Amino acid sequence: RLHGLKRKMEEGARAEELQVQRCRARLDRLAAASAGDDAEWEDIRLKRILVDYMLRMSYYDTATKLAETSGIQDLVDIDVFLDAKRVIDSLRNKEIAPALAWCAENKSRLKKSKSKLEFLLRLQEFVELVKAKNFLQAISYARKYLAPWGSTHMKELQRVTATLVFRSSTNCAQYKVLFEQNQWDSLVDQFKQEFYKLYGMTLEPLLNIYLQAGLTALKTPFCFEGNCPKEDPLSLDGFRKLAEPLPFSKQHHSKLVCHITKELMDTENPPLVLPNGYVYSTKVRAEPTHFCSPKS
Amino acid sequence: TLKDEFDHVVKKQKLASSRTIDLVNQIEKEIEQAIGAIQENGTDRDAASNLNHEILTNLKNTLKELVPVKQLESCQKEMNTALGKWVKTTEKFFINDISKAYKNVDMEPHVLNEIIANHLYREALFDIGDNFLGEASCLASIKLKQLFQEMYEIFGALRTEKSEPALSWAMKNHDALLQNDSCLELKLHQLQFVEILKQGKRDEALQYARTYLAPFATIHKDVIQKLIASILWAGRLDQSPYTEFLVPTNWEKLAEEFAQQFCNLKGQSSTGPMGMTVAAGAEVLPILLKLMTVLTAKREWHSMKEFPFPLDLRRDFQFHSVFICPVLREQGSDDNPPMLLPCGHVLSKQSTVKLSKSSSRSFKCPYCPFEALASECKRLYI
Repeated sequence: RLHGLKRKMEEGARAEELQVQRCRARLDRLAAASAGDDAEWEDIRLKRILVDYMLRMSYYDTATKLAETSGIQDLVDIDVFLDAKRVIDSLRNKEIAPALAWCAENKSRLKKSKSKLEFLLRLQEFVELVKAKNFLQAISYARKYLAPWGSTHMKELQRVTATLVFRSSTNCAQYKVLFEQNQWDSLVDQFKQEFYKLYGMTLEPLLNIYLQAGLTALKTPFCFEGNCPKEDPLSLDGFRKLAEPLPFSKQHHSKLVCHITKELMDTENPPLVLPNGYVYSTKVRAEPTHFCSPKS
Repeated sequence: TLKDEFDHVVKKQKLASSRTIDLVNQIEKEIEQAIGAIQENGTDRDAASNLNHEILTNLKNTLKELVPVKQLESCQKEMNTALGKWVKTTEKFFINDISKAYKNVDMEPHVLNEIIANHLYREALFDIGDNFLGEASCLASIKLKQLFQEMYEIFGALRTEKSEPALSWAMKNHDALLQNDSCLELKLHQLQFVEILKQGKRDEALQYARTYLAPFATIHKDVIQKLIASILWAGRLDQSPYTEFLVPTNWEKLAEEFAQQFCNLKGQSSTGPMGMTVAAGAEVLPILLKLMTVLTAKREWHSMKEFPFPLDLRRDFQFHSVFICPVLREQGSDDNPPMLLPCGHVLSKQSTVKLSKSSSRSFKCPYCPFEALASECKRLYI
């Protein structure tokens, strides 16, 4: 028996060390973040964000491959998500047990955040019993597992137990919906949310958050005009579509971008005016191959 | 600092785990000793049982002295307090929830997935891109993938100092490159020429120069002159005054330039759009988060047509010219274009009209004592 204990302690120590390694890698990375634009650091950030997105969308294979080729395994939490995968897959297979086991494992935290995941899982099991017409079993199940939740979630409890009366072939909309397949899908979503909350992750993928912020900052009315420069992400259809519901960004100071050199004009590269009123930067004058205003 | 605290926690953790393992090992040893002693006592029932009893009591006493449980407890407690402190510090240090800056609109998954796939192709992660398409069951433009595959083939060749694929591409796109003012073709020939020279083949080099470098002679006289002169040092270029041609990073730089020109000619941006948007987002997120703490009604965020604060981005992110009239603080437009005053300052048309009250009187520029008529102002096109 002591041997067993010893083994467990060693496993535990190893797990702790792995976490330590992860934390250390991330701290190092943050320390390396310089103020200016470090292309390599930003590239790794982008990869990290992409892996996060893929894991959340359950594209585990691609995520692992990307993490491996970029060497960022310590910066992303693939195994945490693989844990969740087990539960998600089982839920999609209409099995409640792994999800309930997960709830039991994390009971104290879930209680702190007042999660009703366990309740919803039990409700679904109950509905499945009703679907299968095991009414007696359903009732005893309800007595055992649903009753304790009655104090906090009475209304829902009542609604679902009423399915006993209506049966699965009902046409009454309110109750028909409870028998639908997509109740399982909503369980998956609910689980994902609890999961993210538990691990302190954002509820939305990092990618969406960053893209939204970036699109808002880059969105100007000029992006939608005819000759938007190709360098602007908003010249592409996909980005335009994503940016549709977002507000434009506001400018407070004039900014002039030379049409030829595509550079910003400032005191070192001041704007010049041609007789026909077109404005270009000084740099163009310095290296013209043929210079006539392209617009006239 | 954060790192120090973390190191502190790690130290405690290591201590705790090593102590536990030591203790367990010790206990193990004691028990094994006892077992050994018991076994030695043989199978003679009565005498053995007394001795065994003695051994067992001894064992119990030694174990008690070790006080294993208490030791373990104190180690664990130390580690836990350090851990708790660490958690508190991290929470203070970092912003907890960046999703507060998120507007809850749907980002259509297949649009997003397509963008991601394109990005993966652009980063030369072709296999991963294909994998992604499979898992996400979405489509992406095959043309785009092939485009980047072509680019990376030539790019890779250049980085291993093989210029043939790049040369054939450059010659095919000779006119377009010229229009873009790019001397890529010349630079490629240059590197090839230097390679021949390094091997000391003077005649071949001369022949090469006659065929390929001559057409560029008029425009890039200086470089051509240097190159021809360096024939004199064929085979020993490192002793020539033209060692600049031998620098190995020439190939890398040329590869980068090639990539840029390629993207340019094919109508792609030179840096990936996704990378750019995410970087812009990262810059702007702190401002957005601050705004969220100020905005009381979430509805404002949803119905805004224009963001109320300026979101200033780095120089790289400026793609469009915008004129803000210093007087009206409004954006210029076709109806209200920027006008150039004779003194060199620029105001919007409406401002000039307002300042002159009627178009026949002259007004003073807000920035300098120069006076001008509204009709003397010229319209600017930015």
